[in-house]
Amino acid sequence: MKYSAGSYESSDCIVTVSTHSKTDIIIESIVFEQFGDQIKDVISNTLKEQGIKDILVECFDKGALDYTIKSRLLTALKRMEE
Amino acid sequence: MSRSYLFIPGNTPSMLQNLDVFESDAIIIDFEDSVLTYDKDAARILVKEFLTKFNFKEIEIFIRINDSESPFFKEDVLLTNDLNITGYVLPKALPSSIDQLLKITDKQIIPIIESPMAVLRLEEIARKDQIKGLLLGAEDLTKELNINRTLEGTEILFTRSKIVLTCNAYKIESIDTPYTSKDDEQGIYKDSLNASNLGFTSKSCIHPNHVDVINEVFSPSQEDIKQSLRIIKKAETNTKGAFSLDGKMVDAPIIEKAKRVIVQAKKYNLL
Repeated sequence: MKYSAGSYESSDCIVTVSTHSKTDIIIESIVFEQFGDQIKDVISNTLKEQGIKDILVECFDKGALDYTIKSRLLTALKRMEE
Repeated sequence: MSRSYLFIPGNTPSMLQNLDVFESDAIIIDFEDSVLTYDKDAARILVKEFLTKFNFKEIEIFIRINDSESPFFKEDVLLTNDLNITGYVLPKALPSSIDQLLKITDKQIIPIIESPMAVLRLEEIARKDQIKGLLLGAEDLTKELNINRTLEGTEILFTRSKIVLTCNAYKIESIDTPYTSKDDEQGIYKDSLNASNLGFTSKSCIHPNHVDVINEVFSPSQEDIKQSLRIIKKAETNTKGAFSLDGKMVDAPIIEKAKRVIVQAKKYNLL
């Protein structure tokens, strides 16, 4: 089952999480060339902080800052836990 | 004391990260009406991450939590209480709901007066601990009274006056209700002036383009500042309790008022 948080509005992103055989991160962003690596780092570090492995994270980004990406991921993870 | 209080939705990053460009003296981040039930958790987490990352020293930040009877009330406070915010704005406030909030936070509280019962129990609300001011919520109040809102605001005159008197008596801020027509520049000016003339210390708004007008109306005018400086200067050299200036008597309350005007003028860089 998939759990999401966020929106398609500018400066926001939609993060979707689902259980997976390994940790995979898929990013689609309007600023992928400039910030793709940074977005991946935010997601990886947040998963690490939360001690989460074996998960598929899909991030559709509309120019979100780091704090937004992190918070949308945390919300999606919380929804998955519940 | 803040002149303007701007509500911004709590689950909208584009508004949050621009909160310091709206030039509002205070910001109220909203967890209540502007956030869908499904997204209450998302708003709390977003605001927590935002305020952990960014610090705003010049702006007072409040969070409008959900009312005390909603299932979100406690979590709204518990997840944000350690953040660098000035306090909470409490909707549908009554003495009992303020008591519930006082049990879980030591931050300042701005109750929203938006029910007939809250209007009747205004004094009881004003004298609770940690109250920074009272905010009139005229839309909900008139809905409960089953009456229409007008630009003149005759239907809320009694409530406005009662709030101003109560807040003044208890030395707390009186914050007027938002003006809801977004693009009516004359309307927001008239409504702000009306509130200021009644004695409100500040006004809330839901549109960023209302902030400039509110700041202007709730600031002392250059004429007031000039006259206040004259009063203070003459008071410093005067040895009697009262004196005459331009043929008018000046005594202690007028000197105190002049001092307040200068404090405000300094705060808003008007000197």
